[in-house]
Amino acid sequence: MFIQIFFGYCALMITLSGILAISLRNPVHCVLMVLVLFFHMAGLYLTLNAEFLAAVQIIVYAGAILVLYLFVLFLVSLREELHLDAFIANPWIGRVIAGGLAAALLYVIPAFTLGEKGVWSVEAIKQVTHTKALGQEMYSTYLLPFEIGGLILLVALIGGLALARRDEGATEANAADEATTPLPAQSDHKEAAQ
Amino acid sequence: MQIQYKPKRGWLATIFQAEIVQGMTLTLKRLFSKPITRQYPDEKPKIRPGFRGQHALVRDPETGDCKCIGCMRCAMACPSRCIRIRSHKDKEPGSRRVIDCYRIDSLRCVYCGYCEEVCPVNAIVLTEVYEYGSYTRPSLYFTKEQLLANWDRFAAELDTPVEEYVNPFWRPRGLSEQDLPAPKRLPVSPEWSGEQQVVGRKWRQHHTPEQS
Amino acid sequence: MNILLLLVWIIILFAVVMLHVAYATYFERKIIGHMQVRLGPMRVGWHGLLQPIADGVKSFFKEDIIPANADRPTFLAAPIICLVAMMTSLAVLPFAKGWVLADINIGLLFIFAMSSLSSYGVVLAGWASNSKFSFLGGLRSMAQVISYEIAMGLSLVGVMLLSGSLNLSEIVEAQGNSILGMYLIPQCIGFFVFFISMLAETNRVPFDLPEAETELVSGYCTEYSGMRYAIFFMAEYIGMMVMASIGTVCFLGGWNGPFAVPFFPPLWFVLKIYLFMFIFIWIRATLPRYRYDQLMDLGWKLLIPLALANIVLTACLKAMIG
Repeated sequence: MFIQIFFGYCALMITLSGILAISLRNPVHCVLMVLVLFFHMAGLYLTLNAEFLAAVQIIVYAGAILVLYLFVLFLVSLREELHLDAFIANPWIGRVIAGGLAAALLYVIPAFTLGEKGVWSVEAIKQVTHTKALGQEMYSTYLLPFEIGGLILLVALIGGLALARRDEGATEANAADEATTPLPAQSDHKEAAQ
Repeated sequence: MQIQYKPKRGWLATIFQAEIVQGMTLTLKRLFSKPITRQYPDEKPKIRPGFRGQHALVRDPETGDCKCIGCMRCAMACPSRCIRIRSHKDKEPGSRRVIDCYRIDSLRCVYCGYCEEVCPVNAIVLTEVYEYGSYTRPSLYFTKEQLLANWDRFAAELDTPVEEYVNPFWRPRGLSEQDLPAPKRLPVSPEWSGEQQVVGRKWRQHHTPEQS
Repeated sequence: MNILLLLVWIIILFAVVMLHVAYATYFERKIIGHMQVRLGPMRVGWHGLLQPIADGVKSFFKEDIIPANADRPTFLAAPIICLVAMMTSLAVLPFAKGWVLADINIGLLFIFAMSSLSSYGVVLAGWASNSKFSFLGGLRSMAQVISYEIAMGLSLVGVMLLSGSLNLSEIVEAQGNSILGMYLIPQCIGFFVFFISMLAETNRVPFDLPEAETELVSGYCTEYSGMRYAIFFMAEYIGMMVMASIGTVCFLGGWNGPFAVPFFPPLWFVLKIYLFMFIFIWIRATLPRYRYDQLMDLGWKLLIPLALANIVLTACLKAMIG
């Protein structure tokens, strides 16, 4: 009974804070709403006996990535510097795409089956603790996808570095403009933090 | 002179952060040393000779009034112009000027002691009283009566008899005996004098400063 | 019934921790005073013993000023976020065998999560105050916490590897048969990295850049006053105690001591925390503040590589021996 109420509360809060995150005017408030969202997602993981995932959700998403978002928000004066034109000119195209995505998600729902899959029943996970189960699966059965994921992140990191250092040749040309050179060095710290 | 900001050190000293350890041992040693704090209201500081505190007008034991003769020298010498004197002279010849009003704005005073030095009759004094703060400005704007009362209060707390009290500023430095007016040719304690001059503030050179 | 008992325990823990926070400030002022050949607080009570209580009463009754241009809800919430995050991490600390409110399997990760949450309080306080000093303090704290959290997490991986668990009680149990009953010696590199990042995480000297008094007035809490300022203070001191507890649990063997104490099992734990607190204060009395680029250099170029090397070394050693 308690689990159901907790799930309901988390689901409600996730929806609510998700909507608020895209509708509030102040970008910092939006980020805060995303923070609330992450917390309730961690709560949902807890109801699934996935405490490791819950903790990592908070540490990585709330503790590092969202802080970096906040960093960017603080350093960029949004009102003056960030004027994005609409990505797709016609709003109806966007609505159709969104509706299609929602329909696809709804279509997949009946494919869900309740209960455990494979050797990892709830009892088995509780016995070896979730952290160990996750580690064992990840580094044995799913080693290749894990490594591929790692490689993709590495590519992203190097890409970020390359983007940040793009105009190094230009700065060497006019050496007087040295004030800009420390900036790339800081930004790859941030990438590494991710 | 070469200043070396980053001293060279060996790899052992680098690993164990020798400078930080040095600093930490120093603070740890100080933790057990005796504090030098003076717990002020319970434990008052020792007043040194030449201290310049609250203003007072010396009460003449013969007349019971102040010794001031209304020469205006203190008012002229005062750098902050905080002394105001009004006086008149009686008709009968040979009489002293009568002081109607003698006021010191102690909030403007810079406690330089020039008024004491120039006063030919040693009428004004900066006493050793220093706890006279107040919440109102008018109470720090001393009138003649208040200044006399200040003297009485100070004299009552003095260890020595009032007659023997000599302020080092009454005997100015750097002047020979015959250049001084008679009341200022005062015998002063030997610990105030040095280099054939009477000094209030040079005593530190001759006496090693004691810790209090 | 069970919940009621738990509630009583929570209240006791809260009271004890608050008392410790109050007297940690007294302890700090006294020790720093004596290290600077002063006396420290002496007036309120015998040797100033009632000073923290007087301070608490004062800050409780002081006016709560909110700047006109502050972002009100965020401004009000920031200190609460700080305090709640820090108080929550107290729940998983094992004070002695069985003396723990919530014996969860991911205790260590939980504390990390909470400490990263508490940095939000600082950052938001800096942003919401709408003052440049606060804002700079918030930004600094953000960068500092992100960089040093990585070093800290990596430094504790060695302990996790050796003990094979994330549960704090199990970590302590696992230390029983190592040298001196603590991981300090096999994990000396880890402890070094942990100790430095612990100072940085709690914003203590020499890493107190977010609230550098000499440049930023008071950093992120410049605009705060009265009780809200006091809440930041409490959060900082609880944070110090939580970090000291992690250090004790992971490296100094938790409640294990040379001999068992009959009536008060957490004695050794408490003593080790006091030792950590003393070192915190001792360092504050000794060291000057780091420059900002030095701070980042230390974190990224020294501590993280060291921690990574420590992980590899520990893993190799464990694979060879065990």
